[in-house]
Amino acid sequence: MTAATLWREPLVQAAVWSLATILLYVLAKRLHRRWPRWWLMPLAVAPALLMIAALALNVSYRDYIRGTHWLVALLGPATVAFAVPIYEQRALIRRRWPMLLAGMAAGSLTAVATSWALAYVLGIDGELRLSLLPRSMSTPFAMEVSGEIGGIPDLTAVFVVLTGIIGAAVGDVVLARLPLRSALAKGALFGVGAHGAGTARAHQIGREEGAIAGLVMVLVGLMNVALAPLIIQFLR
Amino acid sequence: MMHRNIPLSLLRLLRRSRLVQIGLLGLFWAAGEILARATGLPLPGGIIGMALALALFLAGGLKVANIKRGANWMLAEMLLFFVPAVLALLDHRELLGLLGLKIFALIVVSTTAVMCVTALTVDFCYRWSERDDGSNAVA
Repeated sequence: MTAATLWREPLVQAAVWSLATILLYVLAKRLHRRWPRWWLMPLAVAPALLMIAALALNVSYRDYIRGTHWLVALLGPATVAFAVPIYEQRALIRRRWPMLLAGMAAGSLTAVATSWALAYVLGIDGELRLSLLPRSMSTPFAMEVSGEIGGIPDLTAVFVVLTGIIGAAVGDVVLARLPLRSALAKGALFGVGAHGAGTARAHQIGREEGAIAGLVMVLVGLMNVALAPLIIQFLR
Repeated sequence: MMHRNIPLSLLRLLRRSRLVQIGLLGLFWAAGEILARATGLPLPGGIIGMALALALFLAGGLKVANIKRGANWMLAEMLLFFVPAVLALLDHRELLGLLGLKIFALIVVSTTAVMCVTALTVDFCYRWSERDDGSNAVA
């Protein structure tokens, strides 16, 4: 077997790209710990380096994701893991749920309204505009809503990930500027604004913040799936 | 003696091993997936699995300590699981031009607005209820 055919072997490809993904993530994390700038965040640096490698080696997304999809699939068990911080913060949540609900409703409304208005101003219309509306939710919810309101679910998935990256960075800036007193507000900010990626960031800030962000992320998704038919009525 | 020792050592393994705990999280997720498919609920398996785990914690069927190390590790490294998804951009070269810049601007502005509105709403309610609690001297 020559080196070229060995290289094209799916198992070898899977091993190489999985290893590359994990190593670049670890490297990007170290880099960010050393120089904590927002533009050095691991979720931006690691994919950028991988994309350069994929382009240089002429590897398509389909080839790449075939070998690394197991990493994305681990988001399932990671979602289950949120049960632990949510359970530990149950007293706080039981006492404060009305204000979380108020924040979620206000945030969701802002997400849809500003996306719609900005897309209008920037001349983005049709399916593309509709695909942008549900991007603040976590991927499975967002794709569900996108299909429901007439967007393109695949494209929405890309916007969701971009929102996560941008949101985790923007969240730090917003956090530094706003005079917020409660961990509740800090957690809700990441959970509503930047779904899973934001929640991961909130978890790094504090346990309470992470628990609130995780809970809020899940509830916002549920709320929007339930409200999607209403949103359509409103848009028509 | 033997039949009592085996479950005990299994329990000890569960307490100690992060990997076993992650496997347990995976089991919850799989149960959630199966339930979602069987009932046709438009919910991701992970969310249903999380609800199952929470229900078990509350019912006392599973101790948080038995899963905490694995859960903490998964949560700390969660960003890694998002990395491959970003590469979907490779299939959407149309987003690399002016359109991409517009969408980038839209996401930055809209997300900033969402975060400010959410955080200020929650914090306003929080301060309001704190003041209320204070004046009524209710903890």
